[in-house]
Amino acid sequence: MGDDRSPSVEDQLRRLYEDAEAQTARAWEGVVQRDAFGELLARTTENVMALTRLSNDAFDLVVRNLRLAGRRDITKLAGQLARAEDKLEMVLQEVERLRDELAAERADRRATNGRRAGGQAATRAKS
Amino acid sequence: MAGTLEQLGRVPRTAVEFTNIVLTQGDAPIGTTPKDVVWTHRKTTLYRYRSSARRHAVPILLVFALINRPDIFDLRSGNSFVEFLLGEGYDVFLVDWGVPDDEDADMGLDSYVCDELHWAVRETLRAAEAEELTLLGWCIGGTLCAMYSALHPDSPVRNLVLLTTPVDTTGSLYQRWVGRPSFDADLVAEVLPSVPGGVIDWANKMMKPVTNYWTTYRQLWQGLLQGADRRDAYQAMAKWVADNPPFPARAYREWITWMYKDNRLVRGRLRLRGELVDLSKIDEALLVITAGADHIAPPPGTLPLLEMVGSEDVTHFDRPGGHIGLMAGSKARNAIWPDIARWLEERSG
Repeated sequence: MGDDRSPSVEDQLRRLYEDAEAQTARAWEGVVQRDAFGELLARTTENVMALTRLSNDAFDLVVRNLRLAGRRDITKLAGQLARAEDKLEMVLQEVERLRDELAAERADRRATNGRRAGGQAATRAKS
Repeated sequence: MAGTLEQLGRVPRTAVEFTNIVLTQGDAPIGTTPKDVVWTHRKTTLYRYRSSARRHAVPILLVFALINRPDIFDLRSGNSFVEFLLGEGYDVFLVDWGVPDDEDADMGLDSYVCDELHWAVRETLRAAEAEELTLLGWCIGGTLCAMYSALHPDSPVRNLVLLTTPVDTTGSLYQRWVGRPSFDADLVAEVLPSVPGGVIDWANKMMKPVTNYWTTYRQLWQGLLQGADRRDAYQAMAKWVADNPPFPARAYREWITWMYKDNRLVRGRLRLRGELVDLSKIDEALLVITAGADHIAPPPGTLPLLEMVGSEDVTHFDRPGGHIGLMAGSKARNAIWPDIARWLEERSG
């Protein structure tokens, strides 16, 4: 009951290629899982960060000496705005909480008054 | 021979189509289900999806990771988890962390868990006029939800759903990379007020370099050569994958140090604003979903949660698939969404 058709050259080539690709993928996954790759990544990150810091500081110094707002100044300003928004959010939540509390209190009072009015009407009706 | 010649004849057309798909992926419409803004704070926005068929009393709040956009919940029409949930009659909310910038360098994990998420829960309940909700977190979003639930045992969270969520990082590839003492997360956070999303994306892709940098394109090419129409599916996913918001410096430092260097969450040593994040205090109905081929949050890094929580109603689904493909792939609609809907339905009355 076997399949009599033999795979075409094209199919064989494709399978060969896919096998090679899968093996390469596995090999690379093996490489990135090695401690040496992790160490390389850590050191490279440290070097890139150090260089970034140096270049950022130098560029910012030039910009600030030109009496222009540097990135740090703009970030500081935006940070202050963000903190103002934090405070505003707190105030807003407090206002909403008080409004809910007030609404609940009013609803309570209305219910009590309603019961009292109902009671008085019943007493009048009895007498 | 004739077949080979025919395929060779298709190569020029395939090349043009391939180039066009890759070059125009940024134009693919994603996250298009109509929604309204309910609340905003700094970069965070809470959305509510429009629906006229809400049947369940308990709304769902979707929470995604900090390193990609939450559009993955609503990838494209016909393949959208949001669309599916709306169809099932749920009131769906989504918290979008936005695109942080340098001024958000002070945002730490506590800001996300104790402020943004806490307030988003509050606003969801107000908007839905509900007493309780379902919190559904994916990836880091799941970890944030778990932290939130652990910190607020009396919170209005009725159900907690965690999708491919990293909890225990022991032995993971990430830990091998960034957990080592020589990886200086403090220096990165000091130099970069917001760690560029591209860097995080590069690290994610380097976990499977050939698959991500070559096989994806080769498969697209091969599909096109064989006449398959993969434009919509490929472009939507590729656009989402390429959209990486920056990681605020403090949150980055805390995530790397606390989760990967110290593994504090499962060791019971993680504190947010002085409060211990004790996973045993999670007492909501809990659904944990893991993906067998997940290399970003492998199942062994999630499963300890099942033993640690205090919930009496704990369910675990393990399905074949990858970290994202499980929920957003073409098979998700039949493979996992109906199971989630069934689990939710029993607990959303």
